[in-house]
Amino acid sequence: MKIACFVEAYNFKDSSERSALLRFKSTAESMGHAFEFIFKDKISKIQNYDALFIRAVTDPSNSAYIVSRLAEQYGLRVIDDPHSIRTCSNKVILHDIFMKNNIPAPKSSLFTGDYSGEALDDMRKTLGFPVVIKTPYTRFSSHVEKANNEEEFIKISRHMLRKTRVLVLQEYIHSNFDWRVGMLRNEVLYSCKYCIPEGGWKVKSKINGRNVWGDTIAVSRDSISTELKETCIRLSECVGDGLYGLDVKETDGGYKVIEINDNPSIYEGYEDAVDKDIHERIINALVS
Amino acid sequence: MIIVSEDEDDSDSNPFLFLRQPVHDSILNINHDYRYLRMGYYVSAHAETFGVDVTPSCAEIMDAYRNPLLIEKARRNGMLTGDYRLLVSPQGELRLPVLLFAVNPFTNNSMKVVNSGEKLPGMIKKMSYDARFPVSLHPLTGEVLEIIQIFGESTNEETSEFTKKFFEIFNIPICKLVVQIDDDGIILNHCEPAMKKEVDWDIVHDKVHEIKKKRYENSLLCRGIQFQG
Ligand SMILES: Nc1ncnc2c1ncn2[C@@H]1O[C@H](COP(=O)(O)OP(=O)(O)OP(=O)(O)O)[C@@H](O)[C@H]1O
Repeated sequence: MKIACFVEAYNFKDSSERSALLRFKSTAESMGHAFEFIFKDKISKIQNYDALFIRAVTDPSNSAYIVSRLAEQYGLRVIDDPHSIRTCSNKVILHDIFMKNNIPAPKSSLFTGDYSGEALDDMRKTLGFPVVIKTPYTRFSSHVEKANNEEEFIKISRHMLRKTRVLVLQEYIHSNFDWRVGMLRNEVLYSCKYCIPEGGWKVKSKINGRNVWGDTIAVSRDSISTELKETCIRLSECVGDGLYGLDVKETDGGYKVIEINDNPSIYEGYEDAVDKDIHERIINALVS
Repeated sequence: MIIVSEDEDDSDSNPFLFLRQPVHDSILNINHDYRYLRMGYYVSAHAETFGVDVTPSCAEIMDAYRNPLLIEKARRNGMLTGDYRLLVSPQGELRLPVLLFAVNPFTNNSMKVVNSGEKLPGMIKKMSYDARFPVSLHPLTGEVLEIIQIFGESTNEETSEFTKKFFEIFNIPICKLVVQIDDDGIILNHCEPAMKKEVDWDIVHDKVHEIKKKRYENSLLCRGIQFQG
């Protein structure tokens, strides 16, 4: 089989991401498949392949979506498929899916700019402070903010509403790490702890004006609790059967899912540090 | 069928209310702008989450608004399209004159006509944000028209068969189409949101009334009451 791996130049900048990409290539080749990196100037050649694996950042408004949809229409096997991209890229849609399917998650609501006393009271009662505010299109924590009181909330949300008509508000859940559970075809592929750096509250936090990432601690997929596993399978099934990365907080009241990502990060020595077969399993999913 | 619209006064619900409620019925989402991250898009996404039929679906919206997806779908369904190319930077021999459309997340109303070989590389560079996003190039072979398509009807009589077919294939209630008319017929080049002021809202209004009338007749039939006249 001939596998196209859709990438952008930035995918090769970080050495552990570059190594992971080369690992995918060598794994595919050792399994008897051709594996070629393709860039956005070759989108229209996608029908010459049997399968497409997207590693460039996905979003319905970028080139990755176009190549994904074209590939799907030409009958290729696709990771990430267009439906998963449309669903996972948008926090408003995820909010809807969580509500509809009773996924255990932080209490959350949509906000479209109603600053009346009644609406603010309502928000304080249901979500409390601090409250987490997210734009629909956030990624890498870029548009996720925490407001500690009403004044901060009004300032931050007004600013964010300049670029979007809907925001997602969530109760704040404190934790020292996020579980990251990698899912493939609705089975757990890998798991790790994405730690929150000291002095921050997000996996990627701005501390003293500098972006700091917390550590990644890989944990054997067989060792995670049944409850965590089942929660992840249930949410993954609501989206599709692709490759996903779920972020989950562990609390005294059980697990709370923060989000499901398509196109999860896979860096050499991080996500694959314990379960070493993840490249092979992904290639298998692309060719079978 | 429930009609959701921000633009049409006689709709059953507006998007802000609709997004906060569960959905049990099929949805007709009427908007002049279905772009990703706009209300028109969220209405369709919300309906899909609840597993009901919605016109248009999110996949249909993206298929119409992203130029390469539009052209490929049109081709598969037998519509005339130009021999388009997707470029990130000027490459190879490029036929002139040419129509350019941006394929990036930000640009709307992006059509540019380029007649001169000297200007083309600069224009591609600009529209691609310096090779960050593709640009779609369509040969200019006929007269270029911008038409507003509303439920298969056209603001231009000459293209009414064409817009009917477009609506059957793409299922987008309201949009602006860029087409060329030449000896071979009507060539589809681009689809984008219509501006509110460009839409003939009387046509939309009639359509909404037609649907409501049918819905009322069906409900009477279901209750065993024969509709008279
Ligand atoms: N309700 C919440 N309470 C506490 N922390 C939260 C909450 N929601 C998100 N976070 C934290 O904020 C960070 C980013 O959140 P989220 O995953 O929702 O956005 P994102 O921009 O898609 O992130 P990424 O792309 O890095 O996964 C994560 O580290 C997460 O733990």
